[in-house]
Amino acid sequence: MAESAEKLKILICQGTGGLASGAAQVAEAFETEFEKQGVEASIGKRCAVIGTGCRGLCANDVLVDVCIPGKEAVTYDFVTPELVPQIVQDHILGEGPIEKKKAGPYYEKFLEKQQRIIFSRCGTIDAESLDEFLEHRGFEGIRKAVTMKPSEVIEEVKKSGLRGRGGGGFPTGMKWSFCAATPGESKYLICNADEGDPGAFMDRSILEGDPYGLIEGLMIGAYAIGCKFAYVYVRAEYPLAIKRLQMAIDTCYEKGFLGKNCLGLGFDLDMRIKAGAGAFVCGEETALMASIEGHRGMSRPRPPFPAVRGLWGKPTNINNVETFANVSYIFYNGADWFNAIGTEGTKGTKIFALTGKVKHTGLVEVPAGTTIKEVIYDVCGGIENNRKFKAVQAGGPSGGCLPSNAIETEVDYDSLIKAGAMMGSGGLVVMDETTCMVDIARFFLQFTRVESCGKCIPCRIGLKIMLEILERITEGKGQEGDIELLQDMAYDIKKSSLCGLGQTAPNPVLSTIRYFRDEYETHIKEGECPSHSCKPLLHFRVIEDKCKKCGLCPRVCPVDAIEWEKGKVAYIDLEKCTKCTSCYDACRFMAID
Amino acid sequence: MVNLTIDGKQVTVSKTATIYEAACEAGVHIPVLCYAKKLMPYGACRVCLVEVEQMKGRLIPACTTPVTEGMVVTSTSDEIVKVRKTVLEFLLVNHVVDCPVCDKGGECDLQDLTYEYEVVSNRFEGEKFDLPTDEVNPLIERNMNRCVLCGKCARVCDEIVGYGSYSFINRGFETKIATAFDRGLNCEFCGQCVSMCPVGAILPRPFKFKARPWQLKEIDSVCGYCGNGCTVTLGTKDNKVETIRFNDKTGVNDGNLCVRGRFGYSFINSEDRLTKPLIRENGSLVETSWDKALARVADGLKQSGSETGIVTGARLTNEELFLLRNVAKALGSENIDHSGGECYKGLTEGLQQTLGLQASTATFPQVENCDAILSIRSDFYETHPVFGMVVNQAVRRNDAKLTVIADKRGKFTKLPEAKTLLHKPGLEVNLINAMCRVLLDEGLAKTERLSGVDELKAALADYAPETVAETTGVSVDAIRTAARELAAAENAAILLAYGLPYTAASKELGIAAANLSLLTGIAGRTGSGLYVCGEKNNSQGAIDLAVMPGATGLGAQQMLSAAAQGQLKALYVVGEDMVSSYPDRKAVELALDKVPFLVVQDLFLSPTAQMADVVLPAASFAEKDGTFTNAERRIQRVRAAVPSPGDARTDFNILSDVLSAFGAQAPATAAEAFAQLTADTAAYQGISLDMLGAQGYVWGTDILTPITRNLVAVAGSKPLDAAHQLLVGSALYHSGTMSTHAKGPMAVVSEPYIEFGREDAKALNVAEGDLVKLSADGEIIEAKAKVDNRLPQGVLFAPYHFSALGLNKIYRGQPAIAVQVGK
Repeated sequence: MAESAEKLKILICQGTGGLASGAAQVAEAFETEFEKQGVEASIGKRCAVIGTGCRGLCANDVLVDVCIPGKEAVTYDFVTPELVPQIVQDHILGEGPIEKKKAGPYYEKFLEKQQRIIFSRCGTIDAESLDEFLEHRGFEGIRKAVTMKPSEVIEEVKKSGLRGRGGGGFPTGMKWSFCAATPGESKYLICNADEGDPGAFMDRSILEGDPYGLIEGLMIGAYAIGCKFAYVYVRAEYPLAIKRLQMAIDTCYEKGFLGKNCLGLGFDLDMRIKAGAGAFVCGEETALMASIEGHRGMSRPRPPFPAVRGLWGKPTNINNVETFANVSYIFYNGADWFNAIGTEGTKGTKIFALTGKVKHTGLVEVPAGTTIKEVIYDVCGGIENNRKFKAVQAGGPSGGCLPSNAIETEVDYDSLIKAGAMMGSGGLVVMDETTCMVDIARFFLQFTRVESCGKCIPCRIGLKIMLEILERITEGKGQEGDIELLQDMAYDIKKSSLCGLGQTAPNPVLSTIRYFRDEYETHIKEGECPSHSCKPLLHFRVIEDKCKKCGLCPRVCPVDAIEWEKGKVAYIDLEKCTKCTSCYDACRFMAID
Repeated sequence: MVNLTIDGKQVTVSKTATIYEAACEAGVHIPVLCYAKKLMPYGACRVCLVEVEQMKGRLIPACTTPVTEGMVVTSTSDEIVKVRKTVLEFLLVNHVVDCPVCDKGGECDLQDLTYEYEVVSNRFEGEKFDLPTDEVNPLIERNMNRCVLCGKCARVCDEIVGYGSYSFINRGFETKIATAFDRGLNCEFCGQCVSMCPVGAILPRPFKFKARPWQLKEIDSVCGYCGNGCTVTLGTKDNKVETIRFNDKTGVNDGNLCVRGRFGYSFINSEDRLTKPLIRENGSLVETSWDKALARVADGLKQSGSETGIVTGARLTNEELFLLRNVAKALGSENIDHSGGECYKGLTEGLQQTLGLQASTATFPQVENCDAILSIRSDFYETHPVFGMVVNQAVRRNDAKLTVIADKRGKFTKLPEAKTLLHKPGLEVNLINAMCRVLLDEGLAKTERLSGVDELKAALADYAPETVAETTGVSVDAIRTAARELAAAENAAILLAYGLPYTAASKELGIAAANLSLLTGIAGRTGSGLYVCGEKNNSQGAIDLAVMPGATGLGAQQMLSAAAQGQLKALYVVGEDMVSSYPDRKAVELALDKVPFLVVQDLFLSPTAQMADVVLPAASFAEKDGTFTNAERRIQRVRAAVPSPGDARTDFNILSDVLSAFGAQAPATAAEAFAQLTADTAAYQGISLDMLGAQGYVWGTDILTPITRNLVAVAGSKPLDAAHQLLVGSALYHSGTMSTHAKGPMAVVSEPYIEFGREDAKALNVAEGDLVKLSADGEIIEAKAKVDNRLPQGVLFAPYHFSALGLNKIYRGQPAIAVQVGK
């Protein structure tokens, strides 16, 4: 502790988002600069450049914290390698922070309403360092858990009120008790890290930012249920997550924390990563198990439930990454502490991945009970380009769209379902007035139709037919009765599909019809897309009253279809226009229609 | 048991039952499409959805959901009907609906469901499938445009057959059933997929455009090929067998068949069938009348009298075998035998000396619940494929531990976690002895009630696992583990097949296997069994009816020697092609040449028949009534489905006439003969024809208790010292020589071959299809090479079914033949 306290630390977000924005180069620049300037000698302190997990504000990567001992940490955003010499020169060696380059007040606001529990180690510690993990309460949870009987551990989880974070919200303690109660010598524990919803990446951040924390959660679960083998099923599209988790597992084995007599606490646990093969349906637990067994990822009927007959026919317990991450903290701080956070029905915090037309896309962790509005406006700074909020898709392709009048809905399993969406894994795709709701329904259905495993008929064929109807509508070829037909088949598909994928896939269609039926009708009856998003229905023109003659649109037009002279209203040549929407997206005054 | 209510009806069913099974019991109809009784629950088609009061708010698939106490099920409601109809509409959007030219028309589940739910119009529209049809192989056609993706083909191929030809590929709507790399089907062609397909997506090609299902007459009979005794339901039209129908209600095979049973029926309709009696005049065979032929036979046999030899295959019915024995009696001859006379001695002498039995001790279906299975020879799957499928199910569904004592790899050795004791040729007995030794050394043997323990112990001094490991090339651990697993299992099975290509050390092998079954307690224990299975459809019947030399009689081999030395006056060969299939062709030919009077009764003018003085055209199994006894002692009824071609007659009729010619009494009908033979055969006493129900009747009950428990010491062999050793055996696609007259098996394996392992092929510079020569003892055989990875280095294999190869010129009953390979 003492040694590191005296270090000067540069914390650089090195999650997938950070790295994509050039975090590795920034880190290298710091190293080079420290060397070149002889910083350690000048300030008389060791300097450490530390790669941390994601800290949430991915929109503004690369984020860098400069932590000078004795002083408050300073956060810079949009850091590039070019900026590094200046930070070193002016801030570290000079008189202090460069105010201009510091993350603005929005960063404080971004953090203000959040309650970063699961993320407490993400973005603050070196994700790959076991020592740092141990310095931050690492393995305190499992050490506490083993002082209790397995049944007491399950009781503690029940008491905490933790519900599954994978989407369904099934009480975790109860799930554990089912598997624990099934007789059998060998049982399996599976961590579902096959995060496949478009726009969801919270599990990835945990895997990348706090892999040891996840291992600890799994240890507690395995001890409570009596599993000797745990699988973490990670989608193959998360190479960094797999690398970091594998590194963490390997380190744990080296130290004797995993394997026989884990941590010397008298229980055995082996852990292995199983990388997925790119199928969304493998996030469904029975398909996931089929995939681990080496079969094609296809759902199996339940019952028998995994707790009775799961992986290789043995009792199996499956939870999501975030659920296991929560477990560690429940044992650090106690079930009562956890139970005090959140609402009546939903305890603790929930991580959301915000994408779409929101200013600060990224990951936020808020206590249950926060409203969606607070998340979008207070935490994430509202809608991009100051446009009007239209809807938010909560729960990924299985969830639903919530319109502005439902935006006060609290982040809570039951409230979200009541509003026509679902918690899902926690993806929030924010849409503004330029987003067409029919097109959004089409987008999600396109996704589920392709990702259907093809086993059951309603999902395999039904979704394709639904999609074809939606495509027809977005092409202006909608027919009278299409909406009713969609609703009717959606109902039958939900009722008759084999697994969660098919049972929820029609949700985006149903919820958009519920809240935006008029948009569907306009498409069908008038052949118009009110949001100017459906290409075949577009015929762009400039609204003269609104045009501020700024000249932005001709600059973004890739085919020179816009005629403009300084001080004059722009004119779109429809002959040349390819309906690429660049002008429409670029116009800040909604002057293009 | 669990009580539940379905549509107001109270039912009590086993707690493992599904809602669907309970409904069947209650007589409530729930539609299904992807469900199959013999496959694991799947739940893909969603037409069996029902409402369950305890699970409100969603629809429950009846075929996968287990029953629970007090469940209240509604099988039909407006909502259920609507959802089922929607599902059918979905299916019909893309399905090609080419029913008028689809062979499945009239018995198609999709057609029936569409009709039942009156799907007269479709609210949805979409593209029709337009996938190419797989017509690469001659037996199974796959038209994926008709597929409903119920997965039954993939499931049956995996769960039951254990071949794994099919899988789902692609995702979503593009999902389809395909083979590896989406190529043409190339498998063992058992046609289980054909039988399971609910629509016309997988069809038997030989049956295409032959008949509408409702035009077919269906006759349940027993397959005429191997000792498995599968029920085959012959589909006939205009007195011709056109196809084999799917039938999972009768017999021992649960509707499963192999390529021979399903596609091997066409020899019945073969153009080459004998239709008229032939008689030798001036050196050549000419057609004649039955009267003349029979008179000649009666004359000839009367003259030879007790110096007549009678040899049969084991394809005749029990009734016919009974008559044949009566013919021998009438002639005063004890020279009667079957199947070469040597290969079955493991049973008749081996098991007799040890267990006091001459039959397998248990039934086939029991094996599915075995914990450990020992198969002696990997060829067991080749000789008895459908029993092999039961083994596959035991391994896959119940995690049975399978050990294969094998001189080459095969289907069994590839089953999940199968342990293969891959040994040098001819050393099976050595390995079994070593296993016995392990049991005795480690105190695992159940020696109480056994006699001969000390003698066996002493005799096994030379069979320490270490020694045997060295001789055979199998690891010590593998031998020990195999013995321990067999001893530890609650239910276990030992499998051993015999037949014409497995003549070597037959008796010794039978004794060794019996010793092992005694030491492990397998023989006679409920749930366990020693299976010694005959190659032919009625091998067991021939033994039960004692179609074997009497006390002073000659066996088949001695008859041949006697004939060769001019000491046999006549030979009556019924249903056997000795020249083609008996070991040592030269010797057989010499004997047949020398014997003064030779009568051959057969379906075809076989090489044996060509040497005859009189040839009598006989009937196939499809043309006669009677019974076969399969290798598990199951007596089943054979039924005539079609008339014989031309003047051909059943062996029963011919033998009756022969008996009459001698003035002996012959039973008038097969039924009468059955009554006589049961009275005459100890094990069959008290069995009447009406006791042979849908599952036949297993004589001696399911578990046959050993009469004696004698351990008998038996010596192993020494490995053959030769760089290249040829193994002779059965191929999966054929059975005896009969299947070489059937189009189905011939379409897959049409000519003889010599099989090489990859290493040998490389070293000898032999490629697939090359013409290769094998020479041994101055004789040369020639055939195309087949190269794969089944054979250990230095070991070659050739199937014995093809007369043209002349394999028995070099095969004289040796366990392996030292050969020189040339081109």
